[in-house]
Amino acid sequence: MSALQKTLHPDEKIKAGKLGSSLSKIGVGIAVIFLGLSIILTLMGSPSGGHESKWARFFHAYVIGWSYIFSISVGMLWIVMLHHLVRGRWVTAVRRVCEAMAGAFPVIFIAGLGFVLPLVFGYKDLYYWAHPDAHNHELNHHLLHKLGWLSPNFFFVRYVIYGAAFSFLAWYFQKKSRQQDESGDPKISETLRIASAPAMILYSIVTCMAAFDILMSMAPKWYSTIYGVNFWGSACVGAFAALALILLGIQRTGRLTHSVNAEHFHDIGKWMFAFTFFWAYTAFSQFMLQWYGNMPEETHWYKYRMFGEWQWVSIAMIVGFWAFPFVFLLSRWTKRIMPSLVFFAVWQLVFHWLDLYWNVMPSYQWQVAFHDGARIVAGPLSGNTAFHHVAFSPVDVTVWLGLIGVFLIGLGRNLVGNLIPVKDPTLPLSLAHEVQ
Amino acid sequence: MATSTTDTTLDPHEPPIATGDGELYGILAEYDTPGELIEAARKVRDAGYSEFDCFSPFPVHGIDEAMGIKRTILPLIVFGGGFTGLVGGVFLQWWMNAYNWPWNISGKPSWSIPANVPIAFEATILFSVFAAFFGMWILNKLPQVWHPFFRSDRFARVTDDAFVLGIESRDRRFDAVATRKLLQDAGAIAVEDVYLEGDPARKTMPKWIVAFIVASTAFTLIPFAIAAKARNSHSNQPHVHLFPDMDFQPKFKSDTAMDLFADGRANRGDVPGTVARGQLKGDDEFYRGLAGGDGGGWITGFPKQLEISDATMKRGQNRYNIYCSACHGYDGRGNGVVPQRVAASGGAWQARNLVEAGGPTVLMPNGQLYNTISNGYNTMMGYAAQIPHADRWAIVLYVRALQRSQNASREDIPPDQQGSIR
Repeated sequence: MSALQKTLHPDEKIKAGKLGSSLSKIGVGIAVIFLGLSIILTLMGSPSGGHESKWARFFHAYVIGWSYIFSISVGMLWIVMLHHLVRGRWVTAVRRVCEAMAGAFPVIFIAGLGFVLPLVFGYKDLYYWAHPDAHNHELNHHLLHKLGWLSPNFFFVRYVIYGAAFSFLAWYFQKKSRQQDESGDPKISETLRIASAPAMILYSIVTCMAAFDILMSMAPKWYSTIYGVNFWGSACVGAFAALALILLGIQRTGRLTHSVNAEHFHDIGKWMFAFTFFWAYTAFSQFMLQWYGNMPEETHWYKYRMFGEWQWVSIAMIVGFWAFPFVFLLSRWTKRIMPSLVFFAVWQLVFHWLDLYWNVMPSYQWQVAFHDGARIVAGPLSGNTAFHHVAFSPVDVTVWLGLIGVFLIGLGRNLVGNLIPVKDPTLPLSLAHEVQ
Repeated sequence: MATSTTDTTLDPHEPPIATGDGELYGILAEYDTPGELIEAARKVRDAGYSEFDCFSPFPVHGIDEAMGIKRTILPLIVFGGGFTGLVGGVFLQWWMNAYNWPWNISGKPSWSIPANVPIAFEATILFSVFAAFFGMWILNKLPQVWHPFFRSDRFARVTDDAFVLGIESRDRRFDAVATRKLLQDAGAIAVEDVYLEGDPARKTMPKWIVAFIVASTAFTLIPFAIAAKARNSHSNQPHVHLFPDMDFQPKFKSDTAMDLFADGRANRGDVPGTVARGQLKGDDEFYRGLAGGDGGGWITGFPKQLEISDATMKRGQNRYNIYCSACHGYDGRGNGVVPQRVAASGGAWQARNLVEAGGPTVLMPNGQLYNTISNGYNTMMGYAAQIPHADRWAIVLYVRALQRSQNASREDIPPDQQGSIR
């Protein structure tokens, strides 16, 4: 068992074959069924609350589901670049799958037009800053100076820039890696290592800015500089959990059964564990300073989540997204025994979604209250806790599942050719990887 | 080094040549590659040996499993350390802040979980790291400054390029001949016996090392001895000045003596007959609250510079809430945060009730109220340095409004609104 290097097992199936196209078909099926169901449910439903359009719920759920699949590709692009940057070894055996998951960006950003285009064409009930009331000086005098940045057209321009940047990075790293499959040129590894440093800087900036624009601007009057980092931590939890599940799924089809073993899953589990704590660390950093500082322009965001029904969701986040997985993932064996790893991966994928839900939905609930006249007694995201409902809707879940189908389409497109970088110089080291 | 080596004697039937000094401690075998070392370790383990170890310049993956070493219990030690840190950190804060010495800081609760998380987190990390570091030392029997294998020159190369397996003679399966054969059959490129020191004189520590340890220990105690002596004795000698140019600077501090001037003072007052810019303050009413002229008492109205307006009232309220409410309370009844804190720490002290009907403050003329803000009253310090004159008058205005509102009767309410009061 023990050697410093290994070659690919002779019986190993490393060709994707029809895997990608069948996965894309499954993705199309899921997307059509669940997004269609969401549209039907929305059309059947009545407007929740006052006179905001009945589509507001759908679009908020869409932003959550979209951010979910976006975040998984964000996390996977990061591990690909980090692997090159630090000349990592163990990832090599699974890197092609990571590249494929990151390569879903173009599809994801096309799907994101589902909420961006209505915004551009004047839909006002998704982002409060796009609502005509946002320009009301009396209500929003400390929002007005942000409206230059937060305007639908400029938002669209930035969205295109983010999409181009992410898609380019994912495409570049995958393309070069596949070139190495053909040529076996070790210099490509060196090229990618050099490219990964500036790529990492670009990546950090666009990730933070995208989180600010798409998620944080749901509460446009709020301030938090760590928000992007916090989103990224949550994203990486979901990404590594998804990677573990997708790899196990690929192994079910008889591929990669020798190359990827408990050692690799152990390290994937370690990353998931590490980011579980990282998310909690940044989330608490954000909370702690605002709670202690006690400034209204910051605390209103937490006020809406700490009181009323949302406080139970917040407590569920602390216990479910951090405490429980943290304590159990401490052990080596919960990450090496596959049923256990699968349990925690699924668990964290659900709570990653809840995290995004918890970030976005209170803003929607506020808009409902706002249109019911809450603004008379309170400014945005403040006021009576009686408005702090968790009005769960089936649409929240169906949109999410439909967008997971969209992600599978994006992933399937990239599962072609070799599922492993066969001529990467570090592959023998990765195949022989052992976690001490 | 007085090392005795018997170079590879490949005939196992010939007993090793006892060149040595003391008894046989163990046998070292060198292997060419990490892979061969692993194979040899597996053979030695399969032969039933337990008192042996492998030495290599870098960590060799798989060696633990080949040697049959059980997984370390270090993670459990670290978990115990971290848990101790967590509980200890939380208990420390609870004991100090909530139990032993609770302290009212602006009415905040003395025990609040979010505020305690950073310390609990840091304590968890600290104790985990200590447990990991010292646990590793203890499990590895460190610090160990010397080992009999060090007598072999070959062994010195394990920090560079040699892969060595060593079996100690205390192993119950150890047999000088059979063990050598085992190691050679496992592919050793060299096998070597290591003997303990035989010369009794060399077994003890050289005298100069002992002397050095004693001398250096004594030397490190000198500063402590000096400090201890200074703390327990008196001296009429001046201080030792380590930095005289900082202790004695060519300048005069305020209110010190100086022989240059006739009055012997370093301070120089204003030149007689002059007033600094903006310091005239000739208006007695505005600046001192006194009616002009000789024998004029406190004014009862407001100086003409003060505009009696809603804005001035708001300004007065704002300044009052900042400077006065800490003691006198927002309602002026003398129960601000400071008296509350005094009460919480077992004392009894009330600030003056400013609004008590018929009380001294209500009866005080405006000028005297102004003067009290400026120059203080009993234990209250003057606020002249913090609050500009106009703001002091605004506070007087607001205190008057407070007194009025706190002692209001039904008739003070406009007739058209009296119906809404129950």
